[in-house]
Amino acid sequence: MKLSALQQSYLNRRSNSFRSSGPLDSSSDSAIKSPAAIFWLILHGLCCLISLVLGFRFSRLVFFFLFSTSSTNFYTSPFRSTAELAKTLDVQSVLSTNAVPNLDLPLLNKTVTNSRVVVGRHGIRIRPWPHPNPVEVMKAHQIIERVQKEQRLQFGVKDPRPIIVVTPTYVRTFQALHLTGLMHSLMLVPYDLVWIVVEAGGVSNETASLLAKSGLKTVHVGFNQRMPNSWDERNKLESRMRLHALRIIREKKLDGIVMFGDDSNMHSMELFDEIQNVKWFGAVSVGILANSVNTDETLTDQKKEEEENPRMPVQGPACNASNMLAGWHTFNTLPFAGKSAVYIDDRATVLPRKLEWSGFVLNSRLLWKDGDKPQWIKDIDMLEGDIESPLGLVKDPTVVEPLGSCGRQVLLWWLRVEARADSKFPPRWIIDPPLDITVPSKHTPWPDAPPELPAHEKPVNVMGIQEPVVKHTTKTRTPRKRRSKRKHETRTDTQASTRHSEQN
Amino acid sequence: MRQWLWGFLFVAFCFACCIAAQHKPRTERISGSAGDVLEDNPVGRLKVYVYELPSKYNKKILQKDPRCLSHMFAAEIYMHRFLLSSPVRTLNPEEADWFYTPIYATCDLTPNGLPLPFKSPRMVRSAIQLISSSWPYWNRTEGADHFFVVPHDFGACFHYQEEKAIERGILPILQRATLVQTFGQRNHVCLNEGSITIPPYAPPQKMQARQIPPDTPRSIFVYFRGLFYDVNNDPEGGYYARGARAAVWENFKNNPLFDISTEHPTTYYEDMQRAVFCLCPLGWAPWSPRLVEAVVFGCIPVIIADDIVLPFADAIPWEEIGVFVAEEDVPKLDTILTSIPPEVILRKQRLLANPSMKRAMLFPQPAQAGDAFHQILNGLARKLPHQKSIYLKPGEKILNWTAGPVGDLKPW
Amino acid sequence: MGSVERSKKKVQLWKKAIVHFSLCFVMGFFSGFAPTGKDSIFSTHLIATEDKSPQISPPQPVQMLNQSSAATTQVLHSSNNVNVNRSLIAAAAATPVSVPEKSHEHVQVPSRRLIIIVTPTNSRDQFQGVFLRRLANTIRLVPQPLLWIVVEGHSDSNYVSELLRKTGIMYRHLVFKENFTDPEAELNHQRNVALKHIEHHKLSGIVHFAGLSNVYDLDFFNELRQIEVFGTWPMALLSANKRKVVIEGPVCDSSQVIGWHLRKMNNQTDAETDAEPKPPIHISSFGFNSSILWDPERWGRPTSEQGTSQNSLKFVKQVVLEDETKLKGIPPEECSKIMLWRLRFPIGVIPRN
Repeated sequence: MKLSALQQSYLNRRSNSFRSSGPLDSSSDSAIKSPAAIFWLILHGLCCLISLVLGFRFSRLVFFFLFSTSSTNFYTSPFRSTAELAKTLDVQSVLSTNAVPNLDLPLLNKTVTNSRVVVGRHGIRIRPWPHPNPVEVMKAHQIIERVQKEQRLQFGVKDPRPIIVVTPTYVRTFQALHLTGLMHSLMLVPYDLVWIVVEAGGVSNETASLLAKSGLKTVHVGFNQRMPNSWDERNKLESRMRLHALRIIREKKLDGIVMFGDDSNMHSMELFDEIQNVKWFGAVSVGILANSVNTDETLTDQKKEEEENPRMPVQGPACNASNMLAGWHTFNTLPFAGKSAVYIDDRATVLPRKLEWSGFVLNSRLLWKDGDKPQWIKDIDMLEGDIESPLGLVKDPTVVEPLGSCGRQVLLWWLRVEARADSKFPPRWIIDPPLDITVPSKHTPWPDAPPELPAHEKPVNVMGIQEPVVKHTTKTRTPRKRRSKRKHETRTDTQASTRHSEQN
Repeated sequence: MRQWLWGFLFVAFCFACCIAAQHKPRTERISGSAGDVLEDNPVGRLKVYVYELPSKYNKKILQKDPRCLSHMFAAEIYMHRFLLSSPVRTLNPEEADWFYTPIYATCDLTPNGLPLPFKSPRMVRSAIQLISSSWPYWNRTEGADHFFVVPHDFGACFHYQEEKAIERGILPILQRATLVQTFGQRNHVCLNEGSITIPPYAPPQKMQARQIPPDTPRSIFVYFRGLFYDVNNDPEGGYYARGARAAVWENFKNNPLFDISTEHPTTYYEDMQRAVFCLCPLGWAPWSPRLVEAVVFGCIPVIIADDIVLPFADAIPWEEIGVFVAEEDVPKLDTILTSIPPEVILRKQRLLANPSMKRAMLFPQPAQAGDAFHQILNGLARKLPHQKSIYLKPGEKILNWTAGPVGDLKPW
Repeated sequence: MGSVERSKKKVQLWKKAIVHFSLCFVMGFFSGFAPTGKDSIFSTHLIATEDKSPQISPPQPVQMLNQSSAATTQVLHSSNNVNVNRSLIAAAAATPVSVPEKSHEHVQVPSRRLIIIVTPTNSRDQFQGVFLRRLANTIRLVPQPLLWIVVEGHSDSNYVSELLRKTGIMYRHLVFKENFTDPEAELNHQRNVALKHIEHHKLSGIVHFAGLSNVYDLDFFNELRQIEVFGTWPMALLSANKRKVVIEGPVCDSSQVIGWHLRKMNNQTDAETDAEPKPPIHISSFGFNSSILWDPERWGRPTSEQGTSQNSLKFVKQVVLEDETKLKGIPPEECSKIMLWRLRFPIGVIPRN
């Protein structure tokens, strides 16, 4: 509008001057020289400018009055139809800038003076593109990520030390489940991290392929001994495996905080911040998820314990009122006396050690051969045989720094569940050959009445189902006869059994 | 040729004029950072005389309904309490710069706790009649050096419906007084030039108690809890919030980034603290308690209220800490918010983290330096000294005491 | 004659000048009208409701006069003007924000489908916190966008909300008021609450029910994103001190489901309560496109009002059951990889009140 007006006036000016230049011809020709003419021309231009500015100002004034009165009327009820119109216009015209004049043009006409001022109905603008734009969603997530990163920078641990995680493991049914859980926690740690995995029975592809998924810096070493079947022996072996890892730390002179992450541990992410506070040798509380099978018998005992220890049992440093290390919380084994698991196949509660390794963290410099380390640390090469817990590494147990609000905070949990030693699973969890079809396709997975399942199915106990699943399709056609689980051998994948019998 | 040259010059000049005219308000900025103004100490810069009114104007009303202490308009009560013990208070009216009339005009609640302003005009009128007959100061200026706290929806228009409020206009006898109000919208009948816009009252203790550690990762992109449609009062939709809230719901309910709902969870305050953006759309009036909550909880306020006048806008750099989205741009909200560069977002968050902003939004008990009370006093102090022209000649009258609806003229 | 001509000339000159002036004036007038920035004109004046008409508020002109004098005579004094101007600045400053087209550097961002993970949790479960943390650690690693819906019964403790808050995951914590005595009914209700939320918000993504004792291979979530309508996969159930590992799920020919390998599971958590047959397929072993909930017609299903609103979970199962052809086996290579383990862990003996 402005441009066209300008152009028009411009044209007018030109034609005007051409037209008028007829009579003024001679004078205008000579005007270049004549100072009076120049003066007049300048005056003329100046006046033009002034009138332009005046016009502009005037228009603003008019505009202001026009709108300040008209807009108040626009949304009064008599004009609701226009508002409706505006709404429909709005919905259709994708809110492009064109829509704005559309909306506002009727305003200019509504200059009727109406003293009643109402703020009335507005259209609800609904855009025609319905779904969130995926690119914008990703941008938003980038923003959130950036904000969180900034928060960590600002409020997180300053100058974090690297973390060295020591994990003993071996290939077994529960390995994938446990190790994946641990791995995910470690992958989230925002600090430098080295993961030393010691595998009983030597390095296996199973474990290696699991570790490869983590993308972490890993040191995967074998340990030339197979995992024994008794829990006691196991713990001893695991201790030796951990010591082996500590020797690696010493050899490689890795710097950082050493923590013992067992593959059956579960971690709160705050733990990794908390252990940054350790100076030399620290201890944290471990929540014990002790599963009991003999629920009914232990219930009364547990109730008692419940009173003094309302939440799950905790193992870890105990502090006195002045936040000094006073002693240790240990797991109360009394209710389980004589009922705890001795072998991993036992259907009884697996009890934790008196003090689990995972409850301790230490500065890796303690392990180094040289350097200024405190006198109270034993040389790991001098340790003959096994130590029960990391406390065996120090000469004086009072040097332990209790972490996590002096042990009151539980940031880490211990859960020992294992399948039976002779349990089989498909190698690397790849089902080959395929499973056999028990419910054909086109049949409902949710049958109205279970058609395939035999009527003599007994209700299973609380522990759930024990059915052979991994098997040769060719061999087993009727696998759903329920048998007493402990006595019957089920057909298993021969491949799997040959593979895993060595390790179990 | 010459004509062309002239034409060109002319056009250039006219553009220059246009641009200058357009840009004039943008360049008019307040020098100095907001922090300095927020830290101002009003003590010593002004003196306030508090009229001694019969307790029926204030304390008795509160006794009748103690709920007035916790609703959004409670600022008027706390302001009174604050002034009584404030060092700016003077007992000598002759040396006072400002006069304060303690009336609890909004403390008239329905059984559901909704404040109704119907009696307020008569009450204010009655109080002014009282002070003008008992002291000489009102008549001296007809209230131009008096201030009133009117935190109602539409300030001194004393009606909760906007159209009625506009119809009523500011109470005629308050025309010359300085109004301290939550309502703020540019070019609105209910906002006088010179009014001080304050934040609505939000319970400071409760909010401070619910602070969560600042390292809690912010994991919500956009957060909003509140009404989208006011079905009871606006069954058609489109009146409430000028349709903006409805548009938020209709356009973004299916966007996983928009955590929006009508249900207030128990973790409302905590959730705000883990959100990046908090929507502060207008409701029936443009202001919203969310504004206070967002600032206190460090969530970038997304202000959707065209022409809103924000609390202490001369001291708080709202454009730096918040995001302004025009009501008509609500459907593009996601695009607008996601295209803000992360650096800008981080900067806004840093500014929001400034404790002086948070303090200025709250009316704590007891008062603290830099809180909303002090900002009000700062605002009043900045208006000093009074102009000579406000003082009337003896016998001169400007206010029309009989103007306004007949109902308002009845005695209270 | 000369004088006449001269006067004529003069008149013409004046005429010309006047024409020029008036033209300029009109031009200025119109240029004032031209919307240079729609904000500065329209938003400031369109919704402005200031009323200048004297008949409603007679004292206003006085007020105006007062102001203008104040503005002209004393700049210092007019903090009110400043007040208004600042908000003007604010509005002006806000406009540049609304420039949407600037995505040059973000082009390479891959846009992925939304995953909606539904997790019911229960404060009566003593190990809730531990397993919730483990699940959260996994979910945190899943590439965005992901929405985690955690459903919980009403409780006074803010244990779960505090825990979730620290994870940094984009989650929605839904709390319901109803009380249940039957844990199965509660679980179903929880899942329905989540589905209702999805339906109400018309969220679009792939829904997966993740129990607290699930452990995932991260590749699982990539596969989940490939689902168009429905997907199903094998999962392994591991129990403590048992010899056997239960694997169940679809049997596939490439990604085509040709049958099922299922046990009848007398699983407490997955049984339907209302005298219905217990579903042999585990709730965690299928995923579906959430639009089936709020836009069933898109998938060629009649809009069954009460079907979805009454019991969304039942509806979903029904749909999956009927549309077996749309089921996609995961992973596409014969559904032969286990990516989801479920730990069957006896609930601890220590009750938590």
